[in-house]
Amino acid sequence: MQIKNKKWFSLNLSNKKAKNSSNHSCNCGKSSEGCGSQKDVEKTNDGFEQVMGANMDRRNAFKQLAASLLVGAGAINSACNLSSNEAFKEKAQIDWEEQFKGNYKLMTDEEKTATVDRLVRSHQLKTGDTLNMSSKTAVENVLFGYAFNISKCQGYMDCVSACVEENNQDRTSQMEYIRIHEMKDGKGFNFSEADDNYYHEVPADGHFYMGTQCFHCDNPPCVEVCPVQATWKEPDGIVVVDYDWCVGCRYCMAACPYDGRRFNWKKPEVPIQVINKNQHYLGNRLRKKGVMEKCTFCIQRSRTGKNPACVEACPTGARIFGNLLDPDSTIRWVLENKKVFRLKEDLGTEPKFWYFMD
Amino acid sequence: MSKTNSKNHVVAISKVLCILWMGIAVLSCKHQEEEYHGVLNKIELKSKDYKEISTSSEKFLAEYHTIQITEDGHTFLIPERKSQIQSFECSECHSKPLKKIKGKELKKAHWNIRLKHANAEMMNCMTCHDAKDTNHLKSLTGSKIDFNQSYNVCKQCHTKQFEDWKGGAHGKRIESWALPRASMTCVNCHNPHNPSFESRWPAKFNTQKIKERE
Repeated sequence: MQIKNKKWFSLNLSNKKAKNSSNHSCNCGKSSEGCGSQKDVEKTNDGFEQVMGANMDRRNAFKQLAASLLVGAGAINSACNLSSNEAFKEKAQIDWEEQFKGNYKLMTDEEKTATVDRLVRSHQLKTGDTLNMSSKTAVENVLFGYAFNISKCQGYMDCVSACVEENNQDRTSQMEYIRIHEMKDGKGFNFSEADDNYYHEVPADGHFYMGTQCFHCDNPPCVEVCPVQATWKEPDGIVVVDYDWCVGCRYCMAACPYDGRRFNWKKPEVPIQVINKNQHYLGNRLRKKGVMEKCTFCIQRSRTGKNPACVEACPTGARIFGNLLDPDSTIRWVLENKKVFRLKEDLGTEPKFWYFMD
Repeated sequence: MSKTNSKNHVVAISKVLCILWMGIAVLSCKHQEEEYHGVLNKIELKSKDYKEISTSSEKFLAEYHTIQITEDGHTFLIPERKSQIQSFECSECHSKPLKKIKGKELKKAHWNIRLKHANAEMMNCMTCHDAKDTNHLKSLTGSKIDFNQSYNVCKQCHTKQFEDWKGGAHGKRIESWALPRASMTCVNCHNPHNPSFESRWPAKFNTQKIKERE
């Protein structure tokens, strides 16, 4: 778990002897960049670098310092408490290291595994359960795409409940990534008149059903507006959020023309018995209050080869998922042989989510 | 003399400016990231030199008993059927002609099957089942069809669905999007005796949404 060339000071609360942890501090008294005595240090662009290397004026520097002091004081206070046990100290150390980690996008593979290990350990200390969290990267020659058959969907909403369970969504606020819109026949795609929270026997006469969720645009406006680059498009086309880097400004929510993003207004709660332990750092790991989240094409499943939970749950086969780059894939057959369209195509967002009819 | 000199200067300066301007124009036209005209163009160009990926569906299909079929150039797996039929083989009971076992004091079978497929004028049991060879299905012209390949019965009428199913637009993939492809066959989703989907209540009702919108 220890990272070589770590730039921040470790608390070492559990009094374990840290190996080589001091070999990178220099004795010249200057800050690490000034003395030039450690040229062999590998250059990474982690959170420490991103924060400490930034140009800032005196006022901002004091602000940052005050904030860090508060966090540090809290950690030290809880760590030095005489009554606290070893597990508590370890937890405090993990929290400390998590506080100074960088943007996931800029982490090295080593740093990615380290943060995943910390999160797993942290959950273990809190609950006693062991998670299976992954940081699996995108597979080359894969670009994920989705097709939705409007004539097949019956409005059963099995996909919605499967999605909530798979992605550890907050149960009390009933946040849902997928919306199924019940639309009147012959009125076009009239979202303002459609009902996405119906409760009657389905399919209702004279209606059709249309599902929306994050479309994983190839030119995503949500990514463009993020002021802290906490959301980005992965090489396999999945638009992801780093929940630990997100500041919760909700610009992305405003920028999305498809209402694909959701915000955690309160701390998400998932009963411990039903937590899905098969997790991905960029996917369904447990979120906190005040961050954005959304559909990730079930990144924890799709990157291993499995279909997303909504595809698996749909009893009508209205949902089709696959690799757009494979000329022999079923999704490509749909795009080439059915009359497909996308929502608000004229915006140039290039969604990778197509609709079609029989 | 001096006039031509200054003229030369002007020409030289304008040449330099022209080259500079062209350079700027070329640089500013360079795309920041990827040079594709939309995602469809990207798919087309990137899939030209598509190499097979390491992701495979095999580990997810290990627990399924499948058979491979090839239809019009589409090769894929479908679930094996015979082992899923409760009282296969049929000839274990149907050893005598139907008329001879009718009304006898035998355990009743198939009493719960109500045919709700097209109408009685168009279809009855014998449209698909063969009274002489109960272990097989039969086509409209009377040729034998294996229970494992029962889609061959369905495709006689449902030609459009068959086309879409072969390509992957109709029906459902099993477990994985990766290759080898495994898809459900007709009877995995549709009860052949009552094939249409039934209406029912949605799986979820969001009570919080109602509150928020009030």
